[in-house]
Amino acid sequence: MRRFRYEYGASPVHLLVALTSFAVSAWALAQVLDVLSTPGRFLIWFLGAIVLHDLLFLPLYSLLGRVAAGALTRGDHPSRLRIAALNHLRIPVMLSGLMLLVWYPLVLSKAAAGFENTTGMSTDVYMERWLLLTAVLFVGSALLLAVRARGLREPR
Amino acid sequence: MDDDVRRPPSPPVPEVGPFRRGFWKSPLRGPWLASFLSSALLPLIVVCTLTGFLSHAAYNPGVGSNALFDEGVDLYFFEWPTGPTWLYALTQGLHIITGLAAIPILLAKLWAVIPQLFERPAVRSVAHALERLGLALLVGGTLFVFATGVLNIQIYYPFGFSFVPAHYFAAFIFLAGLTLHVVSKVGVMRAAFRERGVVRPLRDDLAHTEPEPELEGRHTTAPVAAAPPTMTRRLLLGTVGVGSAALAAMGIGQVVGGPLRRLALLAPRGENFGDGPNDFQVNKTAKAAGIPMEKVGADWRLTLEVGEKRTVLTRDELLGMEQVTADLPIACVEGWSTTQAWTGVRLSELARMAGAEEGAEMQVRSVQPAGVLRQATLTGDQVAAKDSLLALKVNGADLSLDHGFPARIIVPALPGVHNTKWVGKMVWA
Repeated sequence: MRRFRYEYGASPVHLLVALTSFAVSAWALAQVLDVLSTPGRFLIWFLGAIVLHDLLFLPLYSLLGRVAAGALTRGDHPSRLRIAALNHLRIPVMLSGLMLLVWYPLVLSKAAAGFENTTGMSTDVYMERWLLLTAVLFVGSALLLAVRARGLREPR
Repeated sequence: MDDDVRRPPSPPVPEVGPFRRGFWKSPLRGPWLASFLSSALLPLIVVCTLTGFLSHAAYNPGVGSNALFDEGVDLYFFEWPTGPTWLYALTQGLHIITGLAAIPILLAKLWAVIPQLFERPAVRSVAHALERLGLALLVGGTLFVFATGVLNIQIYYPFGFSFVPAHYFAAFIFLAGLTLHVVSKVGVMRAAFRERGVVRPLRDDLAHTEPEPELEGRHTTAPVAAAPPTMTRRLLLGTVGVGSAALAAMGIGQVVGGPLRRLALLAPRGENFGDGPNDFQVNKTAKAAGIPMEKVGADWRLTLEVGEKRTVLTRDELLGMEQVTADLPIACVEGWSTTQAWTGVRLSELARMAGAEEGAEMQVRSVQPAGVLRQATLTGDQVAAKDSLLALKVNGADLSLDHGFPARIIVPALPGVHNTKWVGKMVWA
C-alpha cells in the first residue's frame, strides 16, 4: 500500500474514482456529440467557458478591483475611512454586476423578439429595473458610508 | 488526497507572473475560504442535480414517444406520480432556485482557488495529474451547465446547439468531475476546519483579519506574500450571501406566484398580468407555436382514436358532458409556475367513451403543425387520475387562444409542456 501511495500519489480508492469519472465523462461526451447536430459548438462552449472565465473574466474584474483599491487606499497605512469607502464602492459593484451577469439577456434585450413572441411579454422593463436596482445599491451604500464616516474618522 | 509519502519535487521551473505564488496577494484566499464556500455550495448543487435528473424522469421517457434519447440513455427509475399536484412545481422550482443561488458562491469559489490553475510544479504525481484533468471536467462542466441553464430560462439561445441534450449530458461530466474533486479535497476541507474552525474566521474584524496560513503537508491557495486586508472574511462572504439570497428570492417569486411574483424583479416570469380569467403566464403563445386559425375555429373537432375506432366530438358536445373543476399548477421546466382553476372533461371519462382499455397509455396530439412537443404520451395512471382534465375553461371563462383554446390537457404534477395545448387528437395504443 505504501508502495502504491508512493508511486501514484494517493490511495487506490482515488484511482478508482478517477477512472470511473473519466469513463462516465467519456460516455457522456460520446453521447452528446452523437446526438447534437452541431457537436463542434458543444466543444467550443465547454472549453470556451473555461478560457473565458479563468483567463478573461476573472483577470479583468481582479484588475478593476486592484485599480479601484490602488486609487482609494494608496500608501502602506490607508485610513479606515478610505478602506470603508473602497468597500462601499465595490460591494454595490459586485451585486449590480452579478445581476447583470445573470440576467444580461433580458436587461440588454438580447433576444427581445423571440422572448416577446414566445411569452407574450416585452423585455423593455428589465433595463429600467436593473438600473433602478443599481441606483438603489449605490445610493444606499453612499448614504451608509456618510452615516459611518464620522465614526471612521476618529482614531481607533 | 495529498500525502507525505511522495517523490521529491521536480527541479524548479522558472516562475513568472501568475505562476509565481507571490503574485496572488489577497489575504482572504486559502483553504478555509475555499472549504467554507464549498460547504455552502455542495448542498445547493446536490439539490440542483437531483431535481435536474428528476425533471428528466417527470417527462416519463418510458412511454410512447416521450423519450429524447435511445433506450438506456434516458436515466429514470420510476414512473412519475400524479400527486401531490405541486410535485413538479416543487422539484423544478428547486432546480432553478438552487441553481440561481449557487451562482455567486460558485464565482467566489472559483476566485478563491484560481491560483491553483497556475500552480508549480504543474504535476506532482499521477494522482495530481488526474485531479487536474478532473478539474477541467468540473470547471468546464459547471460553467457549461450554469451558463446554458441561465440562458435557457431567459429564452435566449446564442449557443447554436440543442439545449436539452447538451445540458443533460454535460451534467454527467460535471457530476463525474465533482465526485473526483470531492474525493480529492475532502482531506483539505477537514484539515482546514480542524485548524481554523468552521465559522471562527467569520468573527475577525479588519484589524484581526490575518492571511490564511498554509496547511501542513498540503498544497493550497494560502498566500505567501499577502497584501494588507481591505475586507473581512465575513464582509466578503456576506456579500456573496446577499447575492445568493437575492437570486433565490427571484426564483422563489416565479414559482410561488401571487403577490410574491413581484420578488422576481429581474427574472423572466416576474410579470403580473391583469385580473382577467386568462391573465397568467403563457409558456408559448399561439403565434410562436404557429397555430393556424382555421384549425381552432368553429370547424375544430376532437378525435378520439382506439385502433380503428374513432369518436369525433365538437366543443359543444364536450361542454355537454360532465364538467369537473380542479385547481392545478402549470409548472414549467424553466422554473416558474402558476396555479389556476381549470374546468373540463375528465380524461378517464373520454377514455371510457372512446372504448380504450383501462390503464392504457394515451398519446395527445396538438393541431400545432411542427415541433417536438406538439405531442406527448400520458401514462395509464395519468389518464386515470381524477383531476386529469381536457380543460375547456379556466377560472370560469373559455380558454384564451394562448392558453390552448379550444381545449388543452391539464394533469396533476406533469411538466408544463406535456400539458398539450390546442388538442386535436387523443390516441390510445
